[in-house]
Amino acid sequence: MDTLNILVIDDEPGMRAGVARALENFTVHLSDVASEVGFRVAQAGSGEEGLGRIEAAPPHILLLDYKLPGICGLEVLDRVAQAHGEILTIMITAYASLETAVTATKRGAYDFLAKPFTPDELKSVIRKAAARIVLAREARKLAREKRQVRFQFISMLAHELKAPLAAIQGYVEIVRNRQAGDDPAAYEHMLDRCLIRTQGMSKLIYDLLDLTRIESGQKTRNLAALDVREVASVAIEAVAPEAAERNITIDLQIGGPVPMVADREEIEIILNNLLSNAVKYNRPQGRIEVKARLEEDKVALSVADTGIGMTKEERERIFADFVRIKSSKTRDILGSGLGLSIVKKLVLLYDGKIDVESEPDAGSTFTVTLKASPPARPAETLME
Amino acid sequence: MAKILLIDDDVDMVEMYKIILTHRGHKVTAAYNAAEARALMKKRAPADAVVLDVMMETATIGFDLAREIHQKYPKLPILMLSGVRGAKDLPFKFEPDETWLPILKFLEKPVSAEVLGAEVDSVVSKK
Repeated sequence: MDTLNILVIDDEPGMRAGVARALENFTVHLSDVASEVGFRVAQAGSGEEGLGRIEAAPPHILLLDYKLPGICGLEVLDRVAQAHGEILTIMITAYASLETAVTATKRGAYDFLAKPFTPDELKSVIRKAAARIVLAREARKLAREKRQVRFQFISMLAHELKAPLAAIQGYVEIVRNRQAGDDPAAYEHMLDRCLIRTQGMSKLIYDLLDLTRIESGQKTRNLAALDVREVASVAIEAVAPEAAERNITIDLQIGGPVPMVADREEIEIILNNLLSNAVKYNRPQGRIEVKARLEEDKVALSVADTGIGMTKEERERIFADFVRIKSSKTRDILGSGLGLSIVKKLVLLYDGKIDVESEPDAGSTFTVTLKASPPARPAETLME
Repeated sequence: MAKILLIDDDVDMVEMYKIILTHRGHKVTAAYNAAEARALMKKRAPADAVVLDVMMETATIGFDLAREIHQKYPKLPILMLSGVRGAKDLPFKFEPDETWLPILKFLEKPVSAEVLGAEVDSVVSKK
């Protein structure tokens, strides 16, 4: 339970004691942030004493009498607003005129209590102030976390862009200075590698654009009836040359049309990513099976390969940004590390999920389950 | 001629460093991840110097490996390749402390052929 500190500045000891008594065992439950708040009340009999206490230990909430001997309430309010803007000040006054309320609010008071007030009136004002403090605190925490996530993402991205640049730069320097001996084949090989790494960088940039477009909600979604089988056969065409190079066969095991309502581009991105992985992480002469079927109101779409597979620990990591499985078996495989994060985010737009079954050296099966008639939600809901 | 152990997860970086160092007359062994590096370290004196990348399977695995190598072979010099300009650029908390000690020098990536070659030569000639 959180405890908020309250300071009461009032020259009437009875009033101070009454406030302390009313709030002694009072708690506020904030369901929005699942938080329970209690209060600790300190007292001061004059503005001077109050300011001293505030300097020593600033409270969260200040209950401040308007009419005080010595320094008056408004003067205290001014000084608090200046030096401790984060304190919520509630003015207590016997002269509850609109004018005093306006003056005090202009000078930084958060709320008002008119004397005489009941314990319930006091509690209601305190509840409002507590909610404001806790929610503001929560918002600051979220903003901080968001900045941290963004920093991590950008740092990883910078690393992923610097790696191919360093390779290209290094190769070009060796070629330019003829540092690899006299065999022209060695130089040709290095230039080929430069081209491959350049393609890798382009892929990363395109994936990054896809990802940010999806996350920011900037992508226009065109939900329309389509046949998953037809989209799958087009996606297979796209990876066919790469698969053929390594004698990998791709089997489209979908008997008839599988109708659903979807944004065609999104289904293409999902299939392209899963198929591209199934080719890249397959073994030569391997197989890929693509299946899709309607299960009640859902479409289950799966891509199975006979490739290197994954351990349990690897399976758990692969959906995070920039995560790529690094082992002796994946050494020569290039990728942006964003493909599966993109798939995972798209699947959420269809109230769906993605599962993976895998066994090292046997292969992996990725299955996405999507609502066949998804809600037409804008992509920015993903951010919430 | 010296034996150099290269540890980097990027095939091209390994290939490039191999070309450079082989041309300078060194014998190069490569490991592409921590598991391979650990396997190589089990053998006696795996090299005269180690060139090691920071970010591989995880963002900090290079530091872990440096510590392990140092524990096993305290006299083996380690050159650390790093894609960051210093601790402030790291996407994780890293406080410089005694764990930096086994690392002889940080080389900021991209490291040119000349720089890497010269650094390795200078390290092995001191042995």
